[in-house]
Amino acid sequence: MAIQPASPTPSIFRKKSTPTLSTAASYLSAVSEADARARAHGGTPNSTPALSLSSSVTSSSEDTVLHEKEESNDDGLVYPKVPPTSEQVFTTVHTEFGHCANDTYRYTSQYNPTRPVKGVPEQDPPYYILLTTYISYLLVICFGHLRDFFGKRLKVADYRHLLAHDGFAALNSDFDSFYTRRLKLRIDDCFSHPVTGVPGRTIVLLDRYSPNYNKTMVPSGGKTRGLNVSSYNYLGFAQSKGGCTDADVESIKRYGLSACGSRRECATLDLHLQAEALVARFLGMEDALISSMGFATNSTVIPALVSKGCLVISDELNHASIRFGVRLSGANVRMFKHNDMKSLEALLREVISQGQPKTHRPWKKILVIVEGLYSMEGTLVKLPEIMELKKKYKFYLFIDEAHSIGALGPHGRGVCDYYNVNPRTVDILMGTFTKSFGAAGGYIAGNRDLINRLRLSGHSGAYAEAMAPPILSQVMASMASIMGITLPRAEKSSPSRGLLVRHSDSTLTITPEEPPAYPGNALASWLPPWMPTPESMCDGSDSRMRLRRLAFNTRYLNRGLRKLGFITYGHDDSPVVPLLLFNPGKMAVFSRMMRTRATPIFVVVVAYPATPLVTSRVRFCLSASHTKEDIDTILQASDEIGDILDLKQGLGERWPLQEIIARAVELVNMEEVP
Amino acid sequence: MNTTTTALEPLFTILSQSYTTLETTFFKIPGSAVVARYVRSSHQNDPGRTVLEVILIIFAIRTLMQSRTRADNSGKHFIKFEEKEIDELVDEWTPEPLGAPLDERELAEINNSPVIVGPTGPKPKLSNGKTVTNLASYNFTGLAGNETIKERSIDTLVRYGLGSCGPPGFYGTQDVHIQLEKDIADFLGTEAAIIYAQAFSTISSVIPAFCKRGDIIIADRGVNFAIQKGLQISRSTIRWYDHNDMKSLEQVLESIEKERRKKKGPLTRRFIVTEGIFDHDGAMSDLPKLVELKVKYKYRLILDESVSFGSVGRTGRGLTELYNVPASQVDMLVGSLANGLTACGGFCAGSNVVVNHQRINGTSFVFSAAMPPLLSVAASEGINILRSTPSILTTLQENVRAVHSILDRADCITIPSHPASPMIHLYVRMPSPQHLLPTTLPSPSMSSTSGKLSNPLSPHSRDPEVFDADLEDRILQDIVEEALAQGVMVTRAKRLRGQELTEVRPSIRLAITSALSKKECEKAASVVKAAFTKVVGKQRR
Repeated sequence: MAIQPASPTPSIFRKKSTPTLSTAASYLSAVSEADARARAHGGTPNSTPALSLSSSVTSSSEDTVLHEKEESNDDGLVYPKVPPTSEQVFTTVHTEFGHCANDTYRYTSQYNPTRPVKGVPEQDPPYYILLTTYISYLLVICFGHLRDFFGKRLKVADYRHLLAHDGFAALNSDFDSFYTRRLKLRIDDCFSHPVTGVPGRTIVLLDRYSPNYNKTMVPSGGKTRGLNVSSYNYLGFAQSKGGCTDADVESIKRYGLSACGSRRECATLDLHLQAEALVARFLGMEDALISSMGFATNSTVIPALVSKGCLVISDELNHASIRFGVRLSGANVRMFKHNDMKSLEALLREVISQGQPKTHRPWKKILVIVEGLYSMEGTLVKLPEIMELKKKYKFYLFIDEAHSIGALGPHGRGVCDYYNVNPRTVDILMGTFTKSFGAAGGYIAGNRDLINRLRLSGHSGAYAEAMAPPILSQVMASMASIMGITLPRAEKSSPSRGLLVRHSDSTLTITPEEPPAYPGNALASWLPPWMPTPESMCDGSDSRMRLRRLAFNTRYLNRGLRKLGFITYGHDDSPVVPLLLFNPGKMAVFSRMMRTRATPIFVVVVAYPATPLVTSRVRFCLSASHTKEDIDTILQASDEIGDILDLKQGLGERWPLQEIIARAVELVNMEEVP
Repeated sequence: MNTTTTALEPLFTILSQSYTTLETTFFKIPGSAVVARYVRSSHQNDPGRTVLEVILIIFAIRTLMQSRTRADNSGKHFIKFEEKEIDELVDEWTPEPLGAPLDERELAEINNSPVIVGPTGPKPKLSNGKTVTNLASYNFTGLAGNETIKERSIDTLVRYGLGSCGPPGFYGTQDVHIQLEKDIADFLGTEAAIIYAQAFSTISSVIPAFCKRGDIIIADRGVNFAIQKGLQISRSTIRWYDHNDMKSLEQVLESIEKERRKKKGPLTRRFIVTEGIFDHDGAMSDLPKLVELKVKYKYRLILDESVSFGSVGRTGRGLTELYNVPASQVDMLVGSLANGLTACGGFCAGSNVVVNHQRINGTSFVFSAAMPPLLSVAASEGINILRSTPSILTTLQENVRAVHSILDRADCITIPSHPASPMIHLYVRMPSPQHLLPTTLPSPSMSSTSGKLSNPLSPHSRDPEVFDADLEDRILQDIVEEALAQGVMVTRAKRLRGQELTEVRPSIRLAITSALSKKECEKAASVVKAAFTKVVGKQRR
């Protein structure tokens, strides 16, 4: 299906007639360069000048595919399959952020309050699949033990690290490492694959092979570019060109790379304060604090929130960092069934009535910790129901929005935005910058007293290194881009400029000029004065496009896979789509088949212990940078591989692949899929 | 009697019929004859055994039938309530506030850190517009703001973007990360290395990756907070020895060895955990002695070189270079890329087995996104610069000596730090009799002269230092402010009081940098000394 040459709206791309000198100059240079390139390798059918032009970058005349040597376009990854019209000039690199001009391939991620929150019902596979799954595990385990038994006796040198030697106990017991050695090692080529370049729409794998059954991997020197559905790049901010990168470059030039120390000792930069203020405003909270690592955000802050005599009620599938933090805190922990509100309520009634174990004293505090979006399951938290329970049972609510912030809601503000819940009614919002913002680290937001308390007694503030300046600028630029920026009036009236560099250095000032209500725009004064603010960032068109493209891609793949007959988990609006494989053997095969297609697709496969034993799965992580054609490619690949591997075990109505691709827009816009 | 027999007649027939059908079906199962023969013969030989076996079977069935999860409500402490009672209890319950508002002192505590406007470095500009000399930031090697590093980072940024967008296991490992790991391993001379995204979370993840329940860890009483958290998570058996006291360590090792020989328990993993230069006071470990002891008693050594890596040794390789001990002798060498190399993150270097184990078991490695590529390039470049420019470390040591030569002479300052350590802690010394403050520090030799072994089960030493933490904190804060007013930025060592295992004595922590000239360092040290004299003098009056 071809992209209709839709009437180009200014919200999606800049017209070539933008009356900027710098843009015009670069445009001309891009034209000549693209022309030269097209002549140089006129072989590929797609390399018409207009096409190559579209994929060139307006702000510079550098190579389109980023310092790589010319790549052929056989796989359709480097240039769009359908050339855009001469009207369209994209500012992104197609390999990082796909070109998609069709305005119908957009959707708004929002909760419909008239329908109850429910995910896709979890389907069980037929019994023979369960049986073969168990048998395959049994086989692998038996053979593993057999090999261990003989190996330890016959090949002592290879098993040295598992045996006591020279009076040292074995460094890792063979029991603990059995799973890794005997099950994971067999399919190790699907994990920890080294990559290079931007983890955007496509990613480049460094080819490797193993001469000794995956014990060691040897790089073979080659590279493979493939479609990337495994990076957490929901809004597509993993880019090497664009407003955010310009801001980062500027920030490195001005600030260097490190704040050199911990926040409370002497590494508080003006950037930290500005970023924290912006994060709080983005989330609609009073205050926020930033930590330089996502994992550490949970593991160092939860101990400051709860202590002995407090109870943490945690979803059974919560992330390892939450468990780490809770264990450090010394608080009691109880778990409830994943996303099951009845189980939560029953537990709440029990623990409040019983009080602390043995002493029966009332709990000091009860903190319920849930995640906004569970990255292994694709399920969304049932926030409206939890808010009801919260009113009745007076617990405190901690939402880990590592995956949902930016990725959900009409304004990209996470689950609160998605469900239209006032964020201030939630006590603590936690999230990371790794996923939607293309940065690193995490934040905690809440009311001012609480955040100050965490600044004082959280571990990070006193001991951990402060966040590096380029990461802060990436956070601020991407966040401001999602919010849209209101420029001071004087600058708005000036003729449009590609890069607005506002007045140079000045000391830190946060002007209190009528801040817009949540979730409104950001004021230019909230950002560092040197930060470049391109037009698309200011008018919010860029972020609107990103949010709506992500929402479309998400729903399309989720529903497309189910219409093909696959069993998937999770919610239709979840950008993480787990597709169930069950048999452990199919994981490796699925991953390899995807990787070796004409258009390689790189996927993540996960199994026990990250999931229950029988539900091995492949996880697609979608991004705003994917085009509709990319999703078509994924669907087609899944369709073919699914037939070979006998994966289509789902119930419900099925459509043939061609019909799904043709009726994509209709499929996405359906209220509910029958 | 007879009537009852007749009444039960049909029942008996049914029973005998079902018995025969059961018997025939049972014998139809292949191999059942063997079982039957076994049961029969065993009953014949020993009827008591049959009873025992029947009881065993019943017990097994009961165990199987019981629910796996032992819910609390089956325990004897569970009180059964009516629904209405529960509702009332729920209504009655009022939780404590999640975070109590800070009082005035606490608020001052979080607001007293200076805010730097613009880049940090040897001479940063503060939010009040003043430019100050920086003796506080970890910039030992002066690499902060290095133009070559900046250039290479920007170069990386425009090729890789900023974030790595995924954990290392799922396409988050980039070639620059592999390069950095190789660089670190080459630099130190170990087989391999693994990088973590944050220095603080490195060791608290390395320790539990290896140390499990039942393993023995012997730790220094003065280890830093991150190590304490790692020990807590590991659930291992922990024994403590006196801070930086090799004799005490040997005594503890000896006592554990004796205990083991007596008990003849199975061989467990045993570790010694300590720091190169201690974060708490700047003391330096005697690495050759440590290695000797660990080899003698067959322990593995986890050494935290967060402060010493990139700050001591001829080219900044840390303690192993300083003492000329091969780094391969240290089983897990943990360091920080944030302090010495002014990038971010931490690493653990060691053998291939040690490193590969962490790739699956290092919690904060597996469950966190990989380091941003440009920062790992910055660290690689930092190592490059250190290798090629040994003068950096020479300058640093000169500066350290210069600062020491001035501060050593002040009578109101005690320096617990090692003379070569670029991180210098300053205690306030107040010889006034009404305070319990010790005039001299208990040196390692003193504590061991007491002869008695301190209790290895307790993290507190036998004769702990006595000091008034609140008072000292206040004095030190005054000194910090006084120094700042004179144009020198120093900082108190910020500690989470009450969360540290043992109370740490308040101190001012200097971080000397090679980016300042010797003159500037001397001048700044004089300012610090003057501030001490002034504030302590006022206190005496």
